[in-house]
Order: sequence, then structure tokens, then C-alpha cells
Amino acid sequence: MSHNAPVSVVVVDDHPAILSGVEAWYAASRRPITVVAAGSSVGEAWTSPGSTADVVVLDLQLGEGGPAFGSLRRLVDAGRQVVVYSMRDDEKTALSCLDLGAATFLTKSEGRDHLVEATLAAADERPYMPPALAGALGTNTRADRPQLSVREENVLIEWFQSESKELVAQRLGISVRTVNSYLDRVRIKYANVGRPARTKASLVARAIQDGLVDVDDL
Amino acid sequence: MWHGGRKGNGDGAIELADGPRSSERLLILALERFGVWLRSIVVCLCGALGVVAADAAEIPLAVSLLVPALLACGVRLYALRRPRLFPLALLWTLDAAVVVLTGLFQPVIGGDGADVMVEAIVGISVVAFQYEWATRPVAGAALAALGAVVYVLGDVLSSPGHSPDLVPLVRMLIQVVLSRAAYLIVRALARAADRSAAVRAAARREMEVAAARRAIEREYLATLHDTASATLLMVSQGDGRDWSWLPPRARKDLEAMSAVPGFETGSVDLAALLRCVPEGEGQTRVRLKTHIDGPLAIPSGPGLAIFNGVREAVTNVARHAGVREAELRAWTEGAGAVVELSDAGRGFDPESVPARRRGIKGSIIGRMHAVGGSATVTSHPDTGTRVQWRWHGPAGASSAGNGAPATGVPRPPRAQAQHTADVRFIRGRLLYGTQLAVLLISLVWQFTISLRRLVVHQDVYRSAWAQTAAFVCLAAVAAIGAAYLLRGRQIPPRVRGWSLGSVLAVSAICAFTLPPEQSTGAPDWAFGLVGWHALFLLADLRVRAFAAFLGVHVGLNATAVFLSGAPTAAEAAIMGISTISACGFQLSVGVLMTRLLHDTAPAAGIAAAREEELRTRERIHEDMQRDHKDRYRALTATTVPLLVGLGHGVLSPQNEEVRLRCGVEAARMRRLFAESDAVSDPLLNEVRACVEVAEHQGVTVNLAVRGRPGEVPVEVRRELVDPVAVILGRTRSTARVTVVWTPHTVRVSVVSEDCADDRDTEEAAQAHGRATDAKVTVERTTRGESVWVEAGWRRPATSGVDLT
Repeated sequence: MSHNAPVSVVVVDDHPAILSGVEAWYAASRRPITVVAAGSSVGEAWTSPGSTADVVVLDLQLGEGGPAFGSLRRLVDAGRQVVVYSMRDDEKTALSCLDLGAATFLTKSEGRDHLVEATLAAADERPYMPPALAGALGTNTRADRPQLSVREENVLIEWFQSESKELVAQRLGISVRTVNSYLDRVRIKYANVGRPARTKASLVARAIQDGLVDVDDL
Repeated sequence: MWHGGRKGNGDGAIELADGPRSSERLLILALERFGVWLRSIVVCLCGALGVVAADAAEIPLAVSLLVPALLACGVRLYALRRPRLFPLALLWTLDAAVVVLTGLFQPVIGGDGADVMVEAIVGISVVAFQYEWATRPVAGAALAALGAVVYVLGDVLSSPGHSPDLVPLVRMLIQVVLSRAAYLIVRALARAADRSAAVRAAARREMEVAAARRAIEREYLATLHDTASATLLMVSQGDGRDWSWLPPRARKDLEAMSAVPGFETGSVDLAALLRCVPEGEGQTRVRLKTHIDGPLAIPSGPGLAIFNGVREAVTNVARHAGVREAELRAWTEGAGAVVELSDAGRGFDPESVPARRRGIKGSIIGRMHAVGGSATVTSHPDTGTRVQWRWHGPAGASSAGNGAPATGVPRPPRAQAQHTADVRFIRGRLLYGTQLAVLLISLVWQFTISLRRLVVHQDVYRSAWAQTAAFVCLAAVAAIGAAYLLRGRQIPPRVRGWSLGSVLAVSAICAFTLPPEQSTGAPDWAFGLVGWHALFLLADLRVRAFAAFLGVHVGLNATAVFLSGAPTAAEAAIMGISTISACGFQLSVGVLMTRLLHDTAPAAGIAAAREEELRTRERIHEDMQRDHKDRYRALTATTVPLLVGLGHGVLSPQNEEVRLRCGVEAARMRRLFAESDAVSDPLLNEVRACVEVAEHQGVTVNLAVRGRPGEVPVEVRRELVDPVAVILGRTRSTARVTVVWTPHTVRVSVVSEDCADDRDTEEAAQAHGRATDAKVTVERTTRGESVWVEAGWRRPATSGVDLT
């Protein structure tokens, strides 16, 4: 997808205020983003016109049930790019979503600053790392986690702490670009481990093609 | 571990030292008294009977031997009341003199009466010496050996040509060894009782100390909350109102902060306060060389006045003296204290200081006068400056209370039930020990001395088989008793009844199948023995029961003697001496056991309880001082100067900077309060405490946590959280606070989007935790109005590994 092509989105969230907020943020985007369908059921993503949307924005907590990991897995297996957009702010949920193959994991408190960028990145199959997710990856102690360098871990944690890449860059004496490349590299490393998924493979392939990572790094 | 003797308490009634604990100490004391009294009474009675038994012509000589011996006994008895009056060597010599003097009866006076008397006195004395000198076994053994030598020499001298009779010597040896063994058994059990009581007491003490510390902590935090914290919050929030109430309030708050809770007298350790005097930072730092002879307990008012004066004077050194070093000394003088700060700076002329300058006049001299002390400033241009504070001690009658640190310490609750349980336990152990000892005496006596007599004199008895049967019966009684005791059980009442009946039957059979003229003599193996059997059967009852038994036993033997015709006076005297040496001795042991169980055990329990209470109070006192020092130090660098400034009008609550500082201090105090909360993640709890203060001021705070929480020591938490308090206190609208736990580090970060920064913030954040040596790194990044401060601490390697 070219860098200016319009992006279509289906938003699955059971709270009407969230839906209208999301639509307002998308409307302010420089690159056109169209919400083609919105509703409180995952069905919206499977039926027309939602079934053809480039990106699915999925609230994990729909109705009374637990987190909708099953819905997420089915969407990922169908090759859909899913941005998980959740009230849940715990590491476990974030790591599970990444492992299943979500494009990114975003908490609702980060929506204003990160939803638009995360959606565009997902449409382009580019990595995106919001601060809450960075915090989860930086403190991940699971046995199956990918090997990160000390610098990478540091960047993750400081990005989580400050929510400002400028501050991180200033503290570490590097450029914002370099901060981004560390974050991207971590994201790719995560895409390369755990449950195999098409979205994860294409994220890795795209990153290698763009020169974000070296094959040797992985 | 134990310093009670040094500090002491008001009444000074009990003295504590390392070494034997209460039961063992009181046991040794009781045994010593027993030994001296027993020996004295025996010398007195047997000596009198010896005089009676002697020929009329010998009486003056006998009396001249007996009187010095009795005098020596008297001195020994007097020495019991005044333990340190006589040197031990003198006491030993007196004991030896008694044995030698009474031993001279044999060669000087001669006759059967003298023989029996000397044998009885020496026999009892060598036993008594083992108890008199229980803690110095060599001295006891030497006296016993001397007794044996005296006895043998007397024997040889009184009847030359005869080889000395070895049998009484062997008997003496057996008695001495048995006495020592009995002492060791009872002492071992007393020690065991002491040890287990000490273990239980230590556990109790820990609980009581912990409870007292918590109570004191709560009280102190409540005081802080009601005073300084409330004041600082009001200043940080308020503007444009009437602040006239503030200075006196701030001064009162300071006093409340510095008072050690739990002391009615409100005394503080000036030495601890002075170690908290801030040296300043950077350009204005003054290195203090301190020589403080602590602790210096003085009332909190003067203590605080001196402390604040010293602070002010140190600041003056930095501002005016032109040197970076000063010497701070403190020492006691009479009931008071003297503190001296001197520098080798440029000095000044005190006359020329303008009147409006409040530093010296107000902060140092005026403040000290206000609390009844004095302060002097000595200085000349180019000779340096010396400031001296003097607190002359409390005036008049109140002086007694302030010197004794223990008076105001909260008393730990006395557990009466625990005390009686202790007494019961000690008594049980002592009873068991004495029963075992007496049983040992019974068995050894029966199978050495008595068995030999029975075998040697088989042809003397009217009915040898009855005597032998009686011997077996006694052995059976001892064996049954031993079976119960060695399994740690008491002898059941039925068994005791049957056993006592058997012992009395043995007494009767032996008395009536023995030729009456041989009664209490060498063939009478049972007379001196049955009492021991009865004694271990009746050990737990009062001595009356045992005395009754002995009465029946002696009555049976007397009946047997008198049925076959009245004995002569000399014969009666000899029998009397034998009875005293056998039954009298047993009765005295019975009296001793009753005393041990009914007097010594409760006394030991009471003594243990008092020692325990003193130890507990001492511990509470020490911990309280240390806790207070820690808490106070945490506040001294920052909160105290602020309150001092507000209290003396140096800082104005209208000033925005002052209000911001008050906000920071209020947050710090909230964090301090949160320290004592019982929560699973204390670090986050303390962070939240600071966040709440900021939110209360209208700041939007976004708090996020990542990773698995672990243990962080309280002094590290103080430093980790302090930047949060400082930055949030200065934030106007929005901030983000995060806590990140990785397996190796914990990182607390605060980002303020609009921080009313000043150059002191950074220094303050570091000065606050200066006193600790925790390895907390603080990093700070500013970008425009944004300020980002992160405090990190490397966790010990063992924690934080996720095994799931």
C-alpha cells in the first residue's frame, strides 16, 4: 500500500462514546482513514462492508465475557490486520495479543496520541510500539521471550516511562530515528517468536525488505 | 547483649549479670545456706552430746575445744548475711578449723562417745562442704580430704597400735561423691529450666517489643499528621489569607516532631539530633568535625533550641566566616549538656552587628534563653568564632525524672498467667532433679554401705533371713520408684502408699530382729537407709509428711530398744548422735527440698520475670531511640528547616516558592505515613501516597506499573520515591509516574509536563536521602518545561526471577 493511499477501518467496540471519539481522531488524520463499519459485535468485521476493511480496531472486552482472544485469533488467521484497543493495562494481555498475531496493542488511555499512527502502521504492515506495550515487553520475563540487548530493553522502558521519544533520545544521547529503530527491531523480534501467524510473517518480511532488521539479527 | 547493670533503674533492687540465671543462682544460694546451717547445727548438737558422754574430768577440755569451733560456725553463719564481708580464704580456714577442733576430741578425750561424735561431725561436715563450696568444687574436695585426714589421725592417735579402720573412710568417700552428684543433677535441671524459660521469654520479648514499636510508631505518625503535615498542607494550598497563626503553630509542630514519643518528660538525645545537623550542599557546604560524647538526654525544648541554633550557626559559618570547616563538640556537664561550634574563620566584632540582624540574637541566644539555657558567642576579627550553648540541667525536684531514661518507657503488659506457668515449670524441674538425686543416694547407699553391713553381720541378727528379705523389699521399692522417675513420670499415689508401707515394715522388721544393744550400730544397715527411700517417695509433699515418717521410724527403733531394758546414759547419747547423723541429716535434706520447691522456685520465677521485664524495657527503649533517629533524620534535612523558617518568619507563606516547598514536604510526610501501612507492595503504596497529595492540589497524574513487584528495603524506598514527591509537588497540571520492575532493577520515574523548577530541586532530592548508603541512582532530563527524573536501584540477584 502506498504511503498516501486511503485506509479503511472497521471498529469493534461496545461503547458508543469510544466509537465517536475514534471517528473524530481518524477524521483529523492527514492521510484519509475511513471507518467503513462500526459496532459492538465482531460480526461487523466478517460481514460486508467491514469484511473488506484494511484494519480491524478490536476492543478485547466485549459484553460480559472475558477477553475476546478467540475472535482475535480467528481474525489473524484470516489474514486481517488487528489493532487491539483495550481498557486492560496489564502485561499479560498485551503479550498474549502480540503472540496471537495482533498488529499492535494499545490501551485506551493512549488512544488520542497513538491510535491514528497505529492504524496507519497496521495498514502498511509496519511495526508500531505504543508506550504501554513497550513497558510490557521491557519487563517480560517469560521463558519464550526473544533475546533483547541491554540498549533495546532500556529504550523500551524509558519510552514507557516518559511517553516522549524526544526525552528518551535526549537522555540516551541518540536521535529520535534511532529510538524508533530500536523499538521497531524489538517489535520484529517478537513477531519472529511464538505462535506462527501470517501477519507476523509478513511483518518480518516487510521489515527485512525495508532494511529495518538484518536477517542475522533474527 | 545486656546492659541493664550499667543504666540501672530507679530502685536498683536487682542486679543482673551474665552467668547463672535465676533458678541456678537461687539454687546455689539455698544450698550454701543449707550446708552452713546443717553443719553448724550438727556441730552444736553432737558437740553437746559428746560433752555429755565424756568423763566429768574431761569436760573443761572438751568445752575449750567446742567453743572455738562453735564460734567459727557463728562467723560462717554471719557471713551468709554479708556475703562480701569476709575473704574466701578466711572462710575456708574457719571451715577447716571446725573440722580440726572437733577432730581433736578423739585423741584428747577418747572413748566410744568421742569416736561416734567425731565420726558423725566429720561425716556430716564433709557432705555439707560440698554444698557450701558448690561453685568451688576444689575447695570442697580439699575440706573433705582434710576431714578424712583428721579422722584417720584421730583414730591412730587415740588407739596406737591399731591399724586405722577403713570402713568409715570409704563410707565418707561415698557420701561426698553422692553429695556432689546430687548437686550436679539438681543444677543441671535448674539450668535446663532456666534455658527453656529464657527461650520462651525471648520469644515473648520479641512480640512485646514489636508491639510497643508499632504503637509508638503509630503515635508518632499521628502526631506528625496532626501537626506538621497539616500545617504544610494548609500553607501549600492557601493564598491571600491571614497567616498570623502560622509562626507559633510551626514552632509547636517542630517541638512535637522532635519529642521522642513515649517519654512523658519529652526528652531527646541531643547527640542524635546534632548528628543530623545538615552541612549544606555545594558552595555553601561546611564540613563538620564532630566530637560528641553521646547519648545526651535532655528535654526536647532545650534540645531543639540547641539543634536549631547550631543549624543557624553552621549556616553563618558558610555565609560569613570564609572557611569550609568547623568543629562541633558536645559533652555532659553535671546534669546538663554543653555544645560548642568553633571555626577558624575571619571572625567579627559582636558589638558592631546591627540590631535588626536576627541570626545570632534571635536564633541562637534568644532561643536558648527562652527555654532556660544560655548561649554565648565569642569572636574577634581574624580570630575565628566560638559559639557555646549551655543547658544547665533541669531545675529542682524534677531533676530525678529526666536522668533516668526508663521512667517514661511504656511498660510492657505483665502476663500474670505466664509468670505462674514459669514458676510451675521451674518447680517441676527442681522436683524432678531432687527426686533423681535422692533416688541415686538410696540405691548407692543400699548397695554399698548397707549391703556390706548386712553381709558382714549375718551371724549377729536374730533372724538373718528376715533381714535379707527386708533388704530385697527395699531394693524393690527403689527399683519401682526408679522405673517411674526415669521415664519422667510421677509415682502414682497407690504405689506410693504401698511403697511407704513396705519401707515402714522394713524398719520394724530390722528393729525387732536386731539385738537391741546393736541398734544404730554397725550391723544396723537399715536405720540410716530407709529415710532416703521415704524421702524420694515423699519429695513433692511438704516436709511435715517426711518428718512424720521419720518420727514413726525412730519410734519403732526406740520401742525395740526400750522393750529389752533401758540403755545407760552413755549408750543413749551414742544412739542419739547416730540418730542425729542419720535421720537428722535426712530431715534437713527434706527441709531443703521443701524450701527449694516452695520458696526458691517462686523466687526464681519472680526474679526471671523481673529480669525479663527489664530486658524488654531496655530493648524497647533502645529500639525507640533508633527508630526515632531514623525517622527524624528523614525529616531533618528538609522539613525541619522549612518549619523553622515558617516558625520564625524567615519564610513567608505568601511566597509561591515557599508554598511549593510546603507541598513537597507534605507529600514527603504522606509517604512517611504510608511506610507503616501493611500492604503487599509498599513501594507502590508510597508512590500512591505522593500521587494523592498532588491530585489533591489539582494535578492530573497518570500512574502506570510494569513488572512483578519485589522486596525493597525501606531506606531504598525512601530514596526511590523522594523524586516523585519533589517533582509532583512542583507540577502545575499534568504528570506521569511509572514503576518498572525488571529482574535486576526497580525504576521509579516521574515526568512532569510543566514543572515549576528551581535549581534546588535536584539538590534537595539528593540531600533528602544523604544519610543512607543505599545505591540509588537518580537521573534527570529536562526538555523545555518537561522534567523527567528517574530513580533506579539494582535489586539483589536472587529476587525477581519469573518461574512460571
